[in-house]
Amino acid sequence: MKFLIFTLLTALPLLGAPSDSLVRINSTLQSYKASQPWEKNSPKKRQGLGTLLSGNRVLTTAAMAADAIYLELESADSSRRVPARLSAIDYKTNLALLVPINGADFLKDLKFAEVSSPVKIGDDLEFYQLEDNGDSLSTSGTIRKMDLLSTFVSSGGYLSYQVKASMQTAGNSFTLPAYHNNKLAGVLTSYNSKDQICDVISADIISAFLKDAADGNYLGFPSLGAGFSTTEDEHFRAWLKLPREAGGIYINRVLPGGSGDSAGMKKGDVILTIDGNAINRQGYYQHKKYGSLYWPHLVGGSRVIGEEISIGLLRDGKPLDLKVTLKKAPDPLLPLHRYDNAPPFLIKGGLVFQELSRPYLLAFGKEWASRGPLNLLDVMANPSDYEEGRNRVVVLTRVVPTEATIGYDRISNQIIEKVNGKPVADLPTLAKALATTPENGIHEIETDQTPYKLYLDQGLSDQVDTQFKARGLPSLSRLYEPKAK
Amino acid sequence: MRSILRPLLPLALTAAASGQLKESPLTTKAKPTIYDSVVKIECATQVPDYRTPWNSGRFSGGRGTGFLIGPNQFLTNAHVVSDARRLLITRRGSAQKHVARIKHIAHDCDLALLELEYFAPFEDLKPIEIGGMPQLESEVSTIGYPVGGDRLSVTRGVVSRIDFSSYSHSRADSHLVIQVDAAINPGNSGGPVIQDGKLAGVAFQGRTDADNVGYIIPTPVVKRFLEDIKDDEYNHYMDIGLSTFPLFNPAMRKAYKLSDDAKGILVANVVPEGPCDKVIEKGDVLLKIDGNEIDSAGNIRIGGEFVDMNEIVERKFAGDKVKLTILRGGETKDVEITLNEFPYSSIYSIRYDEQPRFTFYGGLVFQPLNFNLYASYSFDDRRLRQIYNDFISKGLFKEIEDIVVLTRVESDRLTTRMGGFTGMVVEKVNDTKIKNLKHLHEILNAPNPPEFHVIEFNGGARPLIVPSAEAAEAQKRIMQQVGISKASRLEK
Repeated sequence: MKFLIFTLLTALPLLGAPSDSLVRINSTLQSYKASQPWEKNSPKKRQGLGTLLSGNRVLTTAAMAADAIYLELESADSSRRVPARLSAIDYKTNLALLVPINGADFLKDLKFAEVSSPVKIGDDLEFYQLEDNGDSLSTSGTIRKMDLLSTFVSSGGYLSYQVKASMQTAGNSFTLPAYHNNKLAGVLTSYNSKDQICDVISADIISAFLKDAADGNYLGFPSLGAGFSTTEDEHFRAWLKLPREAGGIYINRVLPGGSGDSAGMKKGDVILTIDGNAINRQGYYQHKKYGSLYWPHLVGGSRVIGEEISIGLLRDGKPLDLKVTLKKAPDPLLPLHRYDNAPPFLIKGGLVFQELSRPYLLAFGKEWASRGPLNLLDVMANPSDYEEGRNRVVVLTRVVPTEATIGYDRISNQIIEKVNGKPVADLPTLAKALATTPENGIHEIETDQTPYKLYLDQGLSDQVDTQFKARGLPSLSRLYEPKAK
Repeated sequence: MRSILRPLLPLALTAAASGQLKESPLTTKAKPTIYDSVVKIECATQVPDYRTPWNSGRFSGGRGTGFLIGPNQFLTNAHVVSDARRLLITRRGSAQKHVARIKHIAHDCDLALLELEYFAPFEDLKPIEIGGMPQLESEVSTIGYPVGGDRLSVTRGVVSRIDFSSYSHSRADSHLVIQVDAAINPGNSGGPVIQDGKLAGVAFQGRTDADNVGYIIPTPVVKRFLEDIKDDEYNHYMDIGLSTFPLFNPAMRKAYKLSDDAKGILVANVVPEGPCDKVIEKGDVLLKIDGNEIDSAGNIRIGGEFVDMNEIVERKFAGDKVKLTILRGGETKDVEITLNEFPYSSIYSIRYDEQPRFTFYGGLVFQPLNFNLYASYSFDDRRLRQIYNDFISKGLFKEIEDIVVLTRVESDRLTTRMGGFTGMVVEKVNDTKIKNLKHLHEILNAPNPPEFHVIEFNGGARPLIVPSAEAAEAQKRIMQQVGISKASRLEK
């Protein structure tokens, strides 16, 4: 009996000091080229820290793992390395879980960290860093404020701590664990050396993430699926018939297929309460422990998919209660990011088609918001004007000069409306249309810009495609199964 | 009137012998010379400020050159006399300033015709005769009053290029231009460029990125201007109102049923309500213009020279007709269009000699969008930029004559939470689509307004709500605070 217990204890790491759970993470990240999506950019290396949790899982930020082609764990003293795989990732909260591959030997001297119960404003956090020689180094700071922050992919924000601490520069300082009473209470995502302020993902969000990921089927955080405006403007309030003592946020857009839409929420509704919590004019409510918090925490940050919340609305000046069953945010017309998903594309006869996404627009450089093509920027600013009949916006991003594209060389970034008279809902629809031979052997492609109609010879473009393959293009398309709407 | 402009095209590249400056009246002493026909123009300007449209604008001034082309007719550049409050003409070798006024001004080709209140002191001068196109590599003299002194200056240069190029004064127009290798300096503008004692062009612009390069307006453009104003009104250059796309692609050619050797250019877009509207359709192929065959890139051949098909339209005037031969659905068809003024296209030109329109209501300033406004503010609203871009090509002007923008929100207790809407295009007020500035003004100032004016912006997240009673009360107060002398200017 004793023997048995003994072996069990040596095989599994035990709880210990925070430094005993620290591992180095080396990741190699590689994204696709925006203009030539069949190719990848040169790989980037990133080094950071992770925390070993029960179940041999290592917690780090999504920024460390998004688009990773190789993940590796390294011991604090750099003596051992082991490859790792991604177990769960959440781009919006910026969290990721890694699992070592054949890691028994690697893990033998390490101990698990336990996740802390929620902390509060005024509590101290200890941040851990590693020196090159493997010594750990800790810095302490005090939680000044709780706020909803978006630290990786833009989102409504998730509960985070703002901690005043004077950090030192050390290697591997990308993503640092934060401890409270020797338990993991957060992950530092950014540090402003001028103001000495750290942004730390909260224990609440980490716990919810781990709970969701426990069964291996990660669902993600729920969302109301609505856009909103504040109601500080007195005239706007008077017009909405909002009582003086009430707060409220005005719903300016309801995403089709989202939780709000399914529950019957409409543009023009004013949310007064969520689960009994009064929302003020700026969109804040009073959390019992954390003080004033932004309302999305009541939906995305403290609830899970499938749960029901009750929303107190004012519609046309009259109160209305709505039960909302929470879902994941609906798939937007413009994907916010393409991490770990190769961008779909289609090349036909030299015409390059892609689905419009935020990363595609961002690739126009620092001043993309003014430099990018106007027609595409408008889709991003007013997606609801383009939603009808579309799952995605298909764009003729560029024209590679070929025999089939003579005269089209200067065309780029035109939105595809129809092919052979049929509307184009997404790239698979387009691929299907272009795979069917039209009666006269010429495809008619309708776009939003001069010359509005392009023609492509089926036979000639097939020949060109064969040449492309011979000239080293690995594939002429990357498609996915279209989602049912 | 068309024949006048014939020389415009072929002359350019077919120079036979270079024209030397022969013994000319330039050197005669006793009688007034051609130099004396070149006058100094001083212009006091008042340039409106589109950011404070109620204000008087900036008082400033400048100097240029002009020359006599007929009895009490002085030709100069439009940009020399734009936004003028007072014009003075001075004769060579005289200190006396004579009051002048604008007879006609053409901002699209940067020319203006001035006249003196009393012409008598100039009656002895000989008008400068208008010549033809100078030949490439031939010598020309530029006469004027540029910077660097008070007296007349003469520089010589060689015609180095004849091209179709942009006229920077309006920013939106392109016409024939002669490039000379003599610098055109500030003050030279409006001065004659002489060859063989006759006018070869009007000096008008230079380059900031190259030395010793000057540009002159050739005489075909000058003659067209003089022809146009014969009815005592300037009618602007005509635009055919089409956008075209070269027909190089074999599949495209097949789709439009063109044979392999057939010429012609594709009509990609027809400007609604333009000369071609309802006559030409998207997808037609233009084969001939006034009998001249159009090639796949839109060029025609006149007198052995390759020129853009637009040259045909360049030479015409309002009311003139253009014959087009088109291919539609495989069949050839002859059609005729009538050229007419198309005022909406001025939204892309710099405006001069007009006061900015605006209306001020309860602390909110609304202005119609045009190039001047666009240049005064750095609008970053994507919907505004898109609407401005599509205004003509997509025919948006049919529904909205003015793109009405909320440009400013003046500080006051009424407007304290109304920021965040500036730079956006007004779409509806009280559920009514806004057609133009006047329309908006009338709805906002209606005698029996609703309790709240609901102003919806194109692409706006929420409406802007203005309580009408409070706005009426605040109107005077805010005007006084901000120093707004005038609540609206609805006409130019």
